[in-house]
Amino acid sequence: MEYIKDGRLNIDKTKHQMPTTVHDPCNYGRKSYMTFGDHHADNIRWITKQCIDEEHYREMVDSPLNNLCCGAGGGAWALPYDEERLAYGKYKSDQIKATGAELVVTPCHNCRDQIMKGLAKEHDLGNYKETMYLWELVAESLIIEPWNDEEVAKGHAERDAQNEKFEIDLDQEW
Amino acid sequence: MDEPIKITRQKRLFDISPEMANVCLTCGACSSGCPATGLVPGWDPRKAIRAIVLGMEQEVVDSKWPWVCTLCGRCQYVCPMGVLLLKTFRACRIARDRDKVPGPLQKGTDMCFERGNNLGIPKDDFLFLLADMSTEVEEDEETPMPGFHVPVDKEGANVIITINSKEPFGEPDDMIFWWKIFYAAKESWTVSSENWEGVNWGLFSGDDANMKIQCERVLENARRLKCKTLVYPE
Repeated sequence: MEYIKDGRLNIDKTKHQMPTTVHDPCNYGRKSYMTFGDHHADNIRWITKQCIDEEHYREMVDSPLNNLCCGAGGGAWALPYDEERLAYGKYKSDQIKATGAELVVTPCHNCRDQIMKGLAKEHDLGNYKETMYLWELVAESLIIEPWNDEEVAKGHAERDAQNEKFEIDLDQEW
Repeated sequence: MDEPIKITRQKRLFDISPEMANVCLTCGACSSGCPATGLVPGWDPRKAIRAIVLGMEQEVVDSKWPWVCTLCGRCQYVCPMGVLLLKTFRACRIARDRDKVPGPLQKGTDMCFERGNNLGIPKDDFLFLLADMSTEVEEDEETPMPGFHVPVDKEGANVIITINSKEPFGEPDDMIFWWKIFYAAKESWTVSSENWEGVNWGLFSGDDANMKIQCERVLENARRLKCKTLVYPE
């Protein structure tokens, strides 16, 4: 967020011209609020709207604090209850479908995997096409300017010193 | 007629006040709002809380309920009486014998304690992968990033970032999203060569000791390398 506000990132909004919604992870919304008295739901939306045009944004929930878990919280990916995990996500699937969004943005590994690898195959998500991490949306919206010669030389010097320190030989066969 | 149940503090698996039996009004708001209601026959948040306050903790601990519950906290958020459901269900996970924790959760927690990440990726492999990918990213056809590399153990970097071990293990290209952002912003950043794991399975497996160790390690990396900002994208 700081990078965008300070003008350190050059973002091209035309790269993602599709109906887009945000899924709030429990940890950044409700549980953050319950633990620290503050949450990040507004920040997630603000960053998303720096990367897509406002007209493409579709809100999924009345209150991010009352949002439904995707079904993969609590370490569900490392638990043997896949059937329950997918059934749990039916509510989230219906919510995604109702937004009409093609792109779901979320800043959580578990949520992203559940929507992309779980719910999209198990349930009808309507117009849904893809899920992106919030930082993936930012990275894929960037116009990346190559560094100048001086910066490149500095980067290479640091890299070479580091590879020597850790005894990394990129030419070796594995 | 059966004798009324006497609820005391004695012989409790975890610290539950007997008054909890009165605090919970059995209204069922928790169960109504819980997507996991109906997924485990016999259990929902209200029933689990009633069972626990009436002294049947062991039945709940032995059931699938605390593990199918995703600890999303919605029940506790809506409870009009302030019952700490989320905290109580996680306490049920803590009360499980470690060798009876379902799936690879505890194995990953122990692996992280022993080898610094949940999947046991060796340090040499990790550092080689980062160095090798750095070269590829620099010369990428679509978005070349000349001069780029992943700075490891860079003292005084502004930002230190943790990594979800599933990425170096199976989805390494997903690490590049953050690399692009740091490159474009010309940020001074770094990754620790050890204990770089960004997932804390002790939180989920109910292993408080390991959860704290994992947190302490992540903070220790930031202190050792004198980084101002810790990025924990999980």
